[in-house]
Amino acid sequence: MGAIVDPHEIYFGTFFERFNMRFGPAMPDRPTAWHSGGIVEVTALQRQFEIFREGRPFLESAALLGLGGSFSSPAKDRWLEYLTRLPHMQSDQAGVNGDQRIVGALIANFGQDTPLPCFMRAYDGRTREPGLVVVTEENPLFYLESVVFLTISLPMRPVG
Amino acid sequence: MLIHKSISEYYTSKVKEFGCTPLGVDWTCVATQEMRFVQLLKLCDFGSPFTINDLGCGYGALAGFLNRWHGACRVDYLGVDLSKEMVRRARQLWRSIDGVRFAGGFRSPRVADYSVASGIFNVRLEEPNDRWSSFIRSTLHGLAATSNRGFAVNFVDRPPSGAWVPPGLYTTPPEPWIEYCSEHMGAEVELVKDYGMREFTLLVRHRHGR
Repeated sequence: MGAIVDPHEIYFGTFFERFNMRFGPAMPDRPTAWHSGGIVEVTALQRQFEIFREGRPFLESAALLGLGGSFSSPAKDRWLEYLTRLPHMQSDQAGVNGDQRIVGALIANFGQDTPLPCFMRAYDGRTREPGLVVVTEENPLFYLESVVFLTISLPMRPVG
Repeated sequence: MLIHKSISEYYTSKVKEFGCTPLGVDWTCVATQEMRFVQLLKLCDFGSPFTINDLGCGYGALAGFLNRWHGACRVDYLGVDLSKEMVRRARQLWRSIDGVRFAGGFRSPRVADYSVASGIFNVRLEEPNDRWSSFIRSTLHGLAATSNRGFAVNFVDRPPSGAWVPPGLYTTPPEPWIEYCSEHMGAEVELVKDYGMREFTLLVRHRHGR
């Protein structure tokens, strides 16, 4: 179980980057980060429109935030296909599927007074059979060592 | 006016590339586009029917938003856009909604209770700041003249010193435009900001109505 990765997925970084920019630290005092509202912007959007909600697939909410990218490509098609499989994946919480795990964690995070920035990444799904969607609070970026992220790790594995 | 031609060409190319989507009017996504609508519509009293002009309406996303979120209030909507292609697509997209019309141009052909304009001052293309400021002033006067109760506009906030700004993006602190609308139009101006975006909205109300 778990998603199969084929050579197109070398481009998956684009989709992670899109998510990570939108959900990243806002850093209002850093001029270089001015163009991105980061987690502050997404939190405001969530509180206004309840974009992420129980029962709504992560894919639909991601589309409202334009996280799929603007151009069609085989990599995008496979990324969207991957996201549609999330409800069929298991997670690090027993009885909670991958999609519910992500959406639930994001909703809980947005409910905090100061939501954590979020970070999405892939990991080798073979290391945690059967390929679990894992959500943790940790520091995935060594160069932002003081920043804790809600970190979403998606299982992937090579073809064959 | 050359500036209008440039704007028209720019947005026509956008909608041809991306269609009737937020990207087709240069916004990142549905959510941010609609967050701007929420701020602009703080101007309006939804307790009774009203008329509204939407200047720079693009493909008319606001018409759909009003229909979805404020369907209980009868709103007579007129979208106005410089791009004939936008207007053509908007008419096609919203033809089934009553009380929604579109017109081409840079100024509304009618006077309405309210006017709104979302994002029309942000992309100044290659226009120098003084010419762009002049365009903004003239557009604000057009909005004032075609609104009985008031109008609402938004701007990209001025970034901290040293910040990188995309070429062609117009940014400004709110104060100059608050002062301008207050002094030259005798209007009451309410500043709306801190809605999560690096932008602000001005709600400009005529002091005594028209």
